[in-house]
Amino acid sequence: MAEIAVQRLTKRYGETLAVDDLSFTVDAGRVTGFLGPNGSGKSTTLRALLGLIRPTSGTALVMGRPFHELEKPVEAVGAALDAHDVHPGRSGRGHLRTIAAAAGIPNSRVDEVLDMVELTPARDRRVKGYSMGMRQRLALGAALLGDPKILMLDEPANGLDPQGMRWLRDILVALAAEGRAVLISSHVLSEVEQTVDSVVVIGAGRLVMQGSLADLVKGDRRPILVRSPQADELRALLVQAGASVGPDGRPDAMIVHRSSLETVGTLAAEHGIAIFELTHERATLEDRFLELTGESGNVR
Amino acid sequence: MNALKSEWLKLVSVRTTWALLVAMILIEGLTAGLVTGLSDVDDLRTRDVATLANGTKLAIVFMFTLGALLSTNEFRHGTANSTFVVTPKRERVIAAKLVVGLVVGIAGALLYIAVNAGLGLSILSSRGVDVDADTAVDTYLGVGIGLVLGCLFGVALGALLRNQILTVVTGMVLFLLAGTAALFIGNDVGQYFPGESLLALNGTPGADDVLLSQTEGGLVLGAYCVVLGALGMVLTRQREIS
Repeated sequence: MAEIAVQRLTKRYGETLAVDDLSFTVDAGRVTGFLGPNGSGKSTTLRALLGLIRPTSGTALVMGRPFHELEKPVEAVGAALDAHDVHPGRSGRGHLRTIAAAAGIPNSRVDEVLDMVELTPARDRRVKGYSMGMRQRLALGAALLGDPKILMLDEPANGLDPQGMRWLRDILVALAAEGRAVLISSHVLSEVEQTVDSVVVIGAGRLVMQGSLADLVKGDRRPILVRSPQADELRALLVQAGASVGPDGRPDAMIVHRSSLETVGTLAAEHGIAIFELTHERATLEDRFLELTGESGNVR
Repeated sequence: MNALKSEWLKLVSVRTTWALLVAMILIEGLTAGLVTGLSDVDDLRTRDVATLANGTKLAIVFMFTLGALLSTNEFRHGTANSTFVVTPKRERVIAAKLVVGLVVGIAGALLYIAVNAGLGLSILSSRGVDVDADTAVDTYLGVGIGLVLGCLFGVALGALLRNQILTVVTGMVLFLLAGTAALFIGNDVGQYFPGESLLALNGTPGADDVLLSQTEGGLVLGAYCVVLGALGMVLTRQREIS
């Protein structure tokens, strides 16, 4: 049984269809990326899974049940929806203690969790003085209090610096390795691509794809950046091979569309052309999303 | 019990709680001291202990706000998310908030009475004004119950309205303005407003012809709390948290 099962979930707000007939599952033991542009329905889906909102139709089940039917919700699911969801006048430790108390979790676990998220030195400081990264850690700490089987984190990498990103990646991978189901949402693919094992991609409230990260990258049509001292010669060959080539702003570089890294590399080698740089341009999930769906924009 | 402990921690772990209580006591002490110390002695004799209940309307602002923050902080700061994920039976959360409101209301009322009676009665006695003991007991009972109900009113209205500013403004209008305005234009319905019920409960002198009796005032104010609290629980259960 999948730890999380969303079945034909639809959520309508007046005229707006926030989630549209969405179905996907999340398994234990892996980190699943829940990806989609801003406003695509990720948070709405998570809220439905957590029983905070009611589906218009369809179901959002956790361990086979609606959230409110779980006997011990904190032991089943740990959730962090928004790192800003904390009273700024409370200390980090005080914040976690209010949650722990509600769940019947002892204070010793609060200190344990603060240690896990490396906030012990700042635990007695008021949250208003916390950086965004510290708030993200605190939110993760709150989610971990009940030692839950499932973690649901909404944009946990938001506002993290590179060290913070690496830390988050390591801790999430470790948590999944312990057999937990970890679902993290993001609107930036590059933010999570080194963390997730599989992805659920949504756009405009609908499922775009569910599969492994490799499935997502397969058929990658992101533009390719090529830099070569024989740029003109290579450009002509690429155009001849059917690619479209645009300028990059630098004389020795170009942006190649409708081709692949392999094609460009092979072509250059065959003609003895030196290559200084050959890489995909960094793309946000929005770019990939647009490629996948051919739709423009998600404001509904 | 868990929800109760959590709500108590939420209350005592923010400075605003203490700031409101301290401010109430300071202002209360000042008012009681000034009114009893500076008023005309004959005037004080006529009004008896009722002089000391004067500051209650100001104190109610603090107690109401304290109660309102208990509920509305959840939405103001987004902690409603974790609160209702951890306790999906949401009515328990509101019930716990009401109990905590009751406890802090009683504590606030006792503090208020201690300062008010301690300071006010000793100044009155030093100025040779004797107060009637039975009236004093009735007045302080009314004042104390009024403050407790004011705090509960805040919790209940906050659970209903959720928006912090809206709740506090609505409360101020209901306690300080609406009833007075209605009575001013000669509409008797004004006596049933929270502010006027509170005045009646406090045993405000010389107002018997416009206000309800002390017991009626208390019952009306209590009824508001019960109805709003019940409504707050039902709506919190049904509404979406988004």
